[in-house]
Amino acid sequence: MSNRDLSFWLFLTPVLLGLSLVVIIPFVYGLVYSFTDWDGLTANVFLGLENYINLFKDSEFINALWFTIKFSVVSVILLNILGLVLALLVTRKIQSSNFLRTIFFMPNLIGGLILGFIWQFIFISVFDDIGKALGISALSGWLSTTNTGFWGLVILMCWQMAGYIMIIYIAYLQNIPSELIEAAEIDGANSWQRFRNITFPLVAPAFTISMFLTLSNSFKIYDQNLSLTDGGPFNSTQMVAMEIVRTAFTENEMAYAQAKGIIFFLIVAIIAITQVYYNKKREVDM
Amino acid sequence: MKAINLYSKGFIAIIMAISLMVGCGSAEEGESASNSEDTITIEIYQGKVEFADQFEALAEKYEENNPNVDIKITSVGGGSDYLGTLKTRFSSGEEPEIFSIAGPSEAEQFEDYLADLSDTEAAGLALEGSLSSVQEGDAVYGLPFNQEGYGLIYNKDVFKQAGIDPREISTYEDLESAVETLDAQKNELGIEEVFAYPAKEKWVGGNHLANVYLAPEFNNNVLEAYNADTVQFNKSDELQKMFDLQTNYSIQPVLSLDYSQQVEEYFSLGQVAMIQQGNWIYPSVEQMDEDFAANNMGIIPIPVEGYEGKLPVGIPNYWAVNNNSNDDVIQASKDFLDWMYTSETGKEAVLSDFNFIPAYEGYDAEKIADPLSKEIYEYSSNGDTIGWVFAGFPSNAWGDIVGANMQKYVGGKMTWEELIQDSIQKWEEGRN
Repeated sequence: MSNRDLSFWLFLTPVLLGLSLVVIIPFVYGLVYSFTDWDGLTANVFLGLENYINLFKDSEFINALWFTIKFSVVSVILLNILGLVLALLVTRKIQSSNFLRTIFFMPNLIGGLILGFIWQFIFISVFDDIGKALGISALSGWLSTTNTGFWGLVILMCWQMAGYIMIIYIAYLQNIPSELIEAAEIDGANSWQRFRNITFPLVAPAFTISMFLTLSNSFKIYDQNLSLTDGGPFNSTQMVAMEIVRTAFTENEMAYAQAKGIIFFLIVAIIAITQVYYNKKREVDM
Repeated sequence: MKAINLYSKGFIAIIMAISLMVGCGSAEEGESASNSEDTITIEIYQGKVEFADQFEALAEKYEENNPNVDIKITSVGGGSDYLGTLKTRFSSGEEPEIFSIAGPSEAEQFEDYLADLSDTEAAGLALEGSLSSVQEGDAVYGLPFNQEGYGLIYNKDVFKQAGIDPREISTYEDLESAVETLDAQKNELGIEEVFAYPAKEKWVGGNHLANVYLAPEFNNNVLEAYNADTVQFNKSDELQKMFDLQTNYSIQPVLSLDYSQQVEEYFSLGQVAMIQQGNWIYPSVEQMDEDFAANNMGIIPIPVEGYEGKLPVGIPNYWAVNNNSNDDVIQASKDFLDWMYTSETGKEAVLSDFNFIPAYEGYDAEKIADPLSKEIYEYSSNGDTIGWVFAGFPSNAWGDIVGANMQKYVGGKMTWEELIQDSIQKWEEGRN
């Protein structure tokens, strides 16, 4: 860190410039606007904290926040389990492992909006047809109730992101020295013990990264939400990002939506930072 | 050696930083160059993407005849997105000369920017009542794009086979018995259900259906709705009956049924006999089945007591001219709008290229290309219309709130009384 001379900053200039133009300055603007009655054109009245106070009485926002938290908890757990299982699967010595890696990763390359529409078709039409053919009534009427909407979103999220998380786990799994595993094997550890006591602690850093990625991604999810359920039925599957967009552009309350955005930012930042901090402490250095 | 290294690094960094800034700067130069003294640049920003290509073609024709005018068109689609981007343009100082607004609430938001258009020829020819939501005293702040209308669009073949004459349906009871007749012969007629009601789309219930039963309360006047502090729901029972009829006889589950399924999958493929939609579905149906679109669609009004045989027809969008530019630019903008709606070339394009239902006098109705629009134009020129008041709903997206309440009602989370109560309360909140 001793080389922070002029050239260090000069090299950083383009990036810093870009970052401040598209992230920092708008953020400061937004923060200021959130204390006013800004409608997208003019801000006339300084409201102080009024927007923030109203926000905690806004049942739509609280519902959306609660739904997002439930969704995030479920999808973070499922995604990490799935990602790890897939990674363990494709790091075994099976013939098609490279092919399988590609297949598992592929959903991640399709845009969320398109995925949403594809899965909408699957849930509504394909599920219904299968349900009718097999006489399973639970497969009919997907996305028309809050519960099926919730699980629909979870399934979509897992399907899309599991492959990405898998890649991260693979990277760490392949870094585990085979001596350790062999030594444990000689000492008589069975495969569960080897996984529990050697593999698992050594992939903990991957766990930190994956937790961070899945948590922030499932909190910020918007496009999948928009195309799969569009918040329906009756706005009960509307997540925070979507609620904010709707407040800003449909209800035309720009400043209020901005205040919601700031609160949302704080929540995501706090959760993500605490989470990284705790997981870092638990990691094992080799 | 170290010094050289430092300088070379610094040099590269400076070059990169400069090139970045130059990259930003040159675009501006390019723009100001084209803005030379003799040509007038008119920037148009509008929210109806369906006719963007045809509109640009017409603008090119205008440029040929008026070489000193340069027209730049930006079309942004998708309803709510348009308003947001328009505001961005205004706040960043890149104000368009002509832009589109939808109804009184947007007119009020942009009131500082609206030029008076009452001296244009088009304003004089606009159909009676079509200007009411953008008028203030003698001043006119917008010119209508076109007319649009909605109702129950039916499948002519299915109606004929079932022996139903659509012209005889005028009251709710008529409609109900027609629906029952259709429902009883579903298998013979080869339809799945009578209706496809897309409860997923909040606007279908909250804006369109509710409008039919609320318009009489506001004397069919958008402004009256826009200025109303509360709403009565006098016709709440009728609204409920109509909503129940459509949802009960619809493809299930209605809560996940959306617009494209309703129009493309169910209606245009002949799976249902009727849908509640408007003339805007024509291009989609045409893409699915040209023959069906041209010959097999008809429209009947949604029955409202006291307003039998009247179709809800309204103006979805208005052209507004920005008063924050030079007088000659404002005049040129007005001239272009006038030319578009009053010259022969313009009229021709409005009817046969844009496929608009004209909102101005002096058009030949025979030239309206699609049958739905033709029928709607007939209703409108006979004065058999119900107003569109939903543009005057409170700006907290009240129509969406009603739509969401209707979803709760279908899902059994709300009774009809609670729906009405909550909707009235939200209207009053939206007005404060």
